[in-house]
Amino acid sequence: MRLTDTIKRAGRSLRNAKARTLLTSLAIGVGAFTITLSLAAGQGGRAYTDEIVTANTSVNELLVTKKQPEANSGPKKYEDTGVSAMAGSMSNPGAADIAYLTQDDIKAMEKLNNVTSVSPNYSPSVRYITREGQDRYVVESVSTFSPSVTLKYAAGSVDGNLANDEIILTEEYAKVLGFSNPSDAIGKTVEIRADKLSAPVSAPENKLFPFKVKAVSSKSGFAFRAQGSLLVSNDAARELYEYINKDTRAYGNFLLASVQVNDEKNATSVKDELSTKGFEAQTAEDVLGAINTFINVLQGILIGFGALAVLTSIFGIINTQYISVLERTQQIGLMKALGMRRRDVGRLFKFEAAWIGFLGGAIGSGMAVIAGLIANPLINSALKLEDVTLLQFNPIAVASVIIGLMIIAIAAGILPARKAAKLDPIEALRTE
Amino acid sequence: MIEVKNVTKTYGKKQNAFIALDNVSFTIPDGASVAILGKSGSGKSTLMHAMSGLDRPEKGEVVIDGEDILKLKTKQVDKFRASKIGFIFQSFFVQANETVSDNVSLPLEIADIPRGERKKKIQAALEGVDLSEKIGSKAKNLSGGQKQRLAVARAIVNSPQIIFADEPTGNLDSVTGDKVEKMLFGYNKKNGVTLIIVTHDPELAAKCDIQINIKDGKVESIRDTKPATKQHTRKVVS
Repeated sequence: MRLTDTIKRAGRSLRNAKARTLLTSLAIGVGAFTITLSLAAGQGGRAYTDEIVTANTSVNELLVTKKQPEANSGPKKYEDTGVSAMAGSMSNPGAADIAYLTQDDIKAMEKLNNVTSVSPNYSPSVRYITREGQDRYVVESVSTFSPSVTLKYAAGSVDGNLANDEIILTEEYAKVLGFSNPSDAIGKTVEIRADKLSAPVSAPENKLFPFKVKAVSSKSGFAFRAQGSLLVSNDAARELYEYINKDTRAYGNFLLASVQVNDEKNATSVKDELSTKGFEAQTAEDVLGAINTFINVLQGILIGFGALAVLTSIFGIINTQYISVLERTQQIGLMKALGMRRRDVGRLFKFEAAWIGFLGGAIGSGMAVIAGLIANPLINSALKLEDVTLLQFNPIAVASVIIGLMIIAIAAGILPARKAAKLDPIEALRTE
Repeated sequence: MIEVKNVTKTYGKKQNAFIALDNVSFTIPDGASVAILGKSGSGKSTLMHAMSGLDRPEKGEVVIDGEDILKLKTKQVDKFRASKIGFIFQSFFVQANETVSDNVSLPLEIADIPRGERKKKIQAALEGVDLSEKIGSKAKNLSGGQKQRLAVARAIVNSPQIIFADEPTGNLDSVTGDKVEKMLFGYNKKNGVTLIIVTHDPELAAKCDIQINIKDGKVESIRDTKPATKQHTRKVVS
């Protein structure tokens, strides 16, 4: 018997028992629904973390800290150093327990192969920002602009690097500084005041640093680091830092430095080298990997539930197919009497099971896709994800779910199919 | 030619053994119409099963066209049935949920007849049993007589050499029964197909060329009423 004829006959038998076929395949459908949704969520989740990471770090960038001394368990004995631990800069408090990167460290890092530049995280603590005829506003943080980190702009944009007299404001600062809309701010001058920390209290020294607004950044669902930060060039940040911190005890000590490598591929080798030299480095991939591991575990759990549903439905298929064989004893007997081979009889029932698997898979993943289309906008507005789709359906993944379920269904149909193939036609035709 | 030689079939074991066929032998020439006549439990159905390769008696030979089908492998017996034999049963065994056309198509599919040739064969078979206009109907919507005619169409569609009919008119009233009988005998005469009817009805048996009487698993008598084969007539004393 030809394969196409067998498949057609199998489909026809199922159509003759529509309700039963549908109910059996719905059981698989539940599994298909869960598995398809978890695959979609996993894919969307990984895409989402990808976006987060590129919005915050660059793939060419390593975040480096000094290897911290092993934390001793239990209380530590007090050692009188004669100096108050908190003396010095607020931005780089010289707390005794934390190991800092020094200028020497930075120089050592710069000498490594494949390293293009090393910039310590200056984050100068300035007093306030203002502009002519406007009030003064406290600045939460000033950070260094990195051209490889994706920013979202409300107005203006930065091509390449930021010039040393340029600044990127956030929408909120643009508003309080009296600009009617973000694009109004472009090209205008704002001033940042910095206080010299080493100056004696009796004779304070301070200075206004003017900056031209190059762009206004808008809030992004991805960025953690740049949120609320005013961004200036690396040199400008250093200038501010030097002015504020020079001659303090913490001057030249940094918690964090970012190391730029010449190629993404070299990030890992540089990381290893840094590690042997007493630094701790994290690549963008490390950050991504940590989050992705978490997503994968969650996805695995969800798929596990789906697999459980599929396992249950296997017994449903076996049961249905056994009943089908019993019901159609006469038909099977006739087919065998007419010379249908055992193998073809078995195949007929296996194909029926495959049809059930296909139907269940198609119904389940179809429902999952529909549910995803409905849920995506709701999730986005609830989590403020903007234009990321959290449930991403990959046609290949959906197709493999359906094919996988068909194979499982065929496996479930083996026992009933064998029973059908073994039927004695004489006995079968005797049943009235 | 069908030669049945010393066929013995036993059911059960030892003390419970029941001899269904006891050393049965006879010969049927090609194109004959044969009635295997006997009461219920006489072994006539078992004989049909043995002759069609559905059953395997422990002793004897069934030689069809010079080949002992009892010595064939399962696959070959299946092929033999698919290509050379047509079956008609008392309770029709048509597939109620399938169309008339799909019912008739089944033996062709089993015999691996290419799709292109099937349609013509199905139409010819249905014309032969006067069911052409029902080709698209579901079998469950047919009357009893129409169902049996459908079964006849299914039996003849692949141009078999031998047709086995097990009580073909047993479930039909006399008028429709007559119609089916006429079709079977007409096909037998016209195409030279060997027709073997298993029945307990002497009236139907009388219409056949050869009558083989079976009693308690033994051939009681063979009567050949066909003038040309008169010389085969003989009394078997058991």
